[in-house]
Amino acid sequence: MPATIKQKLPVFAAAAAIRLILPTVFPALPDLLSGRVEVSTPVTSFKRLQEGVFLYTHNVSPYDGGVYHQAPLLLPLFSLLPSPSTTPLAAILLYTLVDLLSAQALFQIAGSGQNVVTRLFTSSRKDLRWSSLAIAAGFLFNPFTVVTCIARSTSAFNNLFILTAIAKASQGASTTFILSMAFATYLSMHPILLFPPLLVLLYDARALKRHSMPNVWSFTIAHTVGLAVAIGALLSASAFMTGSWDFLAATYRVRLLLPDLTPNVGLWWYFFIEMFDSFREFFLGVFWLHAASYMPGLTIRLHKQPLFVACTLTGVFAIFTPYPSIADAALYLSLVPLFRHLFPLMRYTFLASAAILYASVLGPAFYHLWVYAGSGNANFFYAITLVWSLGLSIILGDSMYAALRDELDVERPELRGKDVRRI
Amino acid sequence: MLSFLPFLLLGTFVTRVASSSDYHERLLLRPLPHGNLLASFNFLSNESQTAFEQQNFRYLPRSFGQILQHAHAKELHLRFSVGRWDAESWGQRPWNGAREGGTGVELWAWVEADNEEEAFARWLTLTNALSGLFCASMNFIDATKTIRPVMSFVPEGHHGNVSNLHLLHGTLPHEVVCTENLTPFLKLLPCKGKAGVSSLLDGHKLFDASFQTMAIDVRPVCESDGTDCAVEMEQTVDMVLDIARSKRPRDNPIPRPLPIEEIECDTSKGYNGHDTCYPLNKGTEPAWTLEEVFGRPLKGACPLTDENGDAANTVCINAPPERTIEANTTGQFVETKLAYDTMRCYKLPEGADFDLVLPEQQMTTGLVRLDPPLFAARTINGHGQERGSTQSVIRNPSTVQAIEIVYLESLPWFMKPYLHTLRAHLDTTDESPITETYYRPAIDRKRGTHLELRMIIPPSSTLTVTYDFEKAILRYTEYPPDANRGFDAAPAVIRVLSPSIGDSKGMYIRTTSLLLPLPTPDFSMPYNVIILTSTVMALGFGNIFNLLVRRFVGADEVPASQGGLKGVLLGKLNRLRALFGKA
Repeated sequence: MPATIKQKLPVFAAAAAIRLILPTVFPALPDLLSGRVEVSTPVTSFKRLQEGVFLYTHNVSPYDGGVYHQAPLLLPLFSLLPSPSTTPLAAILLYTLVDLLSAQALFQIAGSGQNVVTRLFTSSRKDLRWSSLAIAAGFLFNPFTVVTCIARSTSAFNNLFILTAIAKASQGASTTFILSMAFATYLSMHPILLFPPLLVLLYDARALKRHSMPNVWSFTIAHTVGLAVAIGALLSASAFMTGSWDFLAATYRVRLLLPDLTPNVGLWWYFFIEMFDSFREFFLGVFWLHAASYMPGLTIRLHKQPLFVACTLTGVFAIFTPYPSIADAALYLSLVPLFRHLFPLMRYTFLASAAILYASVLGPAFYHLWVYAGSGNANFFYAITLVWSLGLSIILGDSMYAALRDELDVERPELRGKDVRRI
Repeated sequence: MLSFLPFLLLGTFVTRVASSSDYHERLLLRPLPHGNLLASFNFLSNESQTAFEQQNFRYLPRSFGQILQHAHAKELHLRFSVGRWDAESWGQRPWNGAREGGTGVELWAWVEADNEEEAFARWLTLTNALSGLFCASMNFIDATKTIRPVMSFVPEGHHGNVSNLHLLHGTLPHEVVCTENLTPFLKLLPCKGKAGVSSLLDGHKLFDASFQTMAIDVRPVCESDGTDCAVEMEQTVDMVLDIARSKRPRDNPIPRPLPIEEIECDTSKGYNGHDTCYPLNKGTEPAWTLEEVFGRPLKGACPLTDENGDAANTVCINAPPERTIEANTTGQFVETKLAYDTMRCYKLPEGADFDLVLPEQQMTTGLVRLDPPLFAARTINGHGQERGSTQSVIRNPSTVQAIEIVYLESLPWFMKPYLHTLRAHLDTTDESPITETYYRPAIDRKRGTHLELRMIIPPSSTLTVTYDFEKAILRYTEYPPDANRGFDAAPAVIRVLSPSIGDSKGMYIRTTSLLLPLPTPDFSMPYNVIILTSTVMALGFGNIFNLLVRRFVGADEVPASQGGLKGVLLGKLNRLRALFGKA
C-alpha cells in the first residue's frame, strides 16, 4: 500500500529525527535521563548494562555481582556496539530503530481491527476509532517513549517484543507470536501473563482468517509447548553463552525477591523498605499473587475482547510489578487509544489524566527535594508514586468499566444510554 | 648526613631473637614538627613452637594463644587505629606503615584450612573470639566485610611446611577505638602495664592523640634452615601527641589565656586591649617531661626484660645531639648514645620511677625528617544521596625512581562501583599506569566489593584514580540509629612493591576512611506506608474485582429494598427464613 507508506514515512522520520537530534544538541541528555529513577530501574538501566558488558568483555561473570540484572543475550548485542563514551549516537540509533519497530507493530495491531471487532463480539461503536497511523504516532511522540529511548533503558526491547507479540497474535501468525512472546518473557519474566489472553486473540484471529475453528485443546497445547521450547532454547543459549546457570538467580530471582530497593515509580520499593523483616517473604508472595491474579479474572470475564485484556494487563504491569518505570506506562498509554470507542463511556478521564500529569511534573521535583536538596524526605517521592499508581489504576478500572458497558450495549441494546447499576 | 640515620635505627629496632622464650620492650620517642611527639611502643614476646603447641605459655598470653590454635590461624595482624598520619608535615610513617591500620579496626590472618568454606568458618570463629577478648565489634566482620586479597598482603612469617593457607581480611571502619580496647591490650603484656614502658600507656592520653594505632602481629619465625621455630607476638602502639594539648592537667583540661604577667608579648603587633597581647613566637622546642605528656609516671623497668646488652635499653629518644635531655630518677639508670648521638637510650631502674625532662630550648639544627615514598589521599566527589564518584590522588615525590604499588579497595555492598567508569590517569604521560586488575563485584547483602590494582607511577608524577558509584537504599532495619550521619567506607590500602625496603614487613600507606551518606527512608512510618500502599492497591483491585464479579442491570431493574438499617435487617431475616424453610 504505497499510500500508507507515503503517510507513514514523514511520521516515522520525524520520530527518528527527534530521537537523534535531541542527544546531538544536548550531549549530556542521555546520561542525565539514564540516571533518573523514573526511567531506569535496576533491571533496565543502561549504565548497569554498560557495566555488565564491560565485565563480560573482560571475562568476569557479570552475574557474579549485584549490579547487572538483565538478560544475558543483551550482552553480546551491546558488546558489538561501539563504546557509548566515544560514539554515543550508535546506541541511540539502535534504540530509535527499536522504537520504530514497536510503532510498526502498534500500527499492525490497530490495522487488524481486533480492538473493535472480534470473533465473538462487535462493538456497537465500532466506527468511532482513530487511524492506525495516529495510534502509532501517539506511541512515537509520547514524551515517555522518547525519554525511554534517549535514556536507552532496555525496557524499550521489552516493549518491542510485547507489541510484536500482540501484533502477531492479532494477525494470527503463530510462529512469530511464540518467538516474540518468548523473547518478552525471557527479558522480563512477567509478560508470560500475557500469554493466555494473547492465545485467545491468536485463536480468534486464526478462526477469522481461515473461517474454521481449530481444536481448542490441541491449539492450546501446541502453542504452550512451543512457547516452553522457545523459552527453554533462549535460556539454554544464555547458559551456554555465560557458561553457567547463575544468570537465572541474578535476573529472575531479583525480580521475584526485590533485593535492590532503588526507588522507582511503583508501589513495591518503599513498602519493602519499611516492611518488618519477619513479614517480608509473606508480603512478597501476596504482592506477586496480587499482580498475577488479574490475568485469569480478566481473561475469563472479557474473553470476547482478548486484545482489551492484553492492553489492561500491560497497565497492570505498569502499576503492580516490582520494578515499573515510565516505559511500562508509555506502553500502556499507547495501547489505550486503540479503544477510542470506549472513551465516551469512561467517567473519570479528567481526574485520571490530571493525576498522571500532576505526578509527572511533581515526581522529579520531589525526588530532587529528597535526594539532592535535602529539604524533603522519602515520603515526598513516595506520595507522588502513590498518585501516579492511583492515576493509572483509575484509567485501568475506568476503561474496564467502559468495555463492560460496551458489551452490555450489544447484549441488551434496550439499555443503551440508560443508567445502569452493578449488582 | 643525618637523614639516613633514623632510617637505619628504625630498621634495626626490632631485635630478632628466634628460638628462646623471651620478652623485649622498647619505647622510641621522636619529636615531630609543630610541637608534636611520636611515641612508638614495641613489645615482643616469643614462645617456641613446641611450647606453643603443648599450650605451655610463658610470655605469649594464654588467652590469645588458645584463640589462635582454636581458629587454626598461623599468622595474624590486628589493628586498632584513630586519626590520620599527616605525612606532609610528619614525614615517613613509623615502621614504614607496616604496623598501622586503617581507621577503626582492621584484621587479617592466614588461616589453615582445606577449602574456602572451612577457612571462612574458622575466620568467623577467630573474629568472634577476638571480639570477646578485645571488647570490639569484630563479630560484625561477616561475609560482606571480608575479602581475600591477592596482591596486597604477603605473610611476614615463615610458613615453610604449612600448605593450604587462606588469607582473609576484614575491616570495621565505623568502630570507635577506645579505652575498653586498650585494657585487654595491656593485659596481654607480661608486665600488664604495671611496670616497664607500658606503664605510660593511659587511655586518656592515647585516645586523645592526633594519631594512634595499636597493632598485634603474630607470626612464626624460624632459623634460615627452617628449624628451631618460634611463635612471635609483637604488640605495637604508635601515637602522635600534641605536646601542648597533652600537658593540660586532667582536672582542668580547657585551655585558658595566661595572665599577662606570664606571657612574653610580641610588641611588634598591636593588640586592642590592655589585659592581654600577642604571645611572642620564639621558635623554640617546647618543654616537656614524660610524666606531663603521658599523664602518669614511668614505673621503672619490667623485670622480665634482659638486664644486659642492647635489649636492656628500653627507652630511646631520637633527637638532635644539641637537645638537652635530663633523666630524673631515684634509681640506677644507664644512658647510651647511639648513631652519632642522635639516639639516646636509657636502661631503666627497677622499682623506681623514671622521667625524662626536656626544657624549652632554642635549636640551631632542625628536626630530622624522612620523606615518605608517596603521598595518597582519597575523597568522594559529587553531591546528592544517589550517586557519586571516588577520587584517589597518589603522588610520587621522587625525581628519579618509579614506584610500583598495589592499590586495594574493600567497599561495602551498598556502595556499588561501576568498573567501566574506572579511570587511572597520570599527569605526565597518557599511558595507562595499570598493569594488573583484580575485581570481585559485590552481591547485595552477601559480599562487598574487592578491587586490587597494580600500578606503576613514574618519577615526580601524580596518579588520579576515579570511578563512579551508586548508593543503594537499604531496608529500614539495616540503618544504624544515626542513619543520617552516613556510613563509613574502609580506607584504601596501598602497598609499595618497589623500591622494596628489603624486610619482610613491606611498606604500606593507608588513606583515610570515607563517609558515605545514603538516602534514608522515613523511619517513623512503617505502619503508615503499609496502610497507604495497601489502600492504593485495594482501590485498584477492589474496583476491578467489583467489575469482574458483578453484572450490569438497568437502574430500574434493581430489586427494590427498603433502605436503612431496618431494610438490611429485614433482608437478612428473609434470607434466614428462606434458608430454614428449605431445610
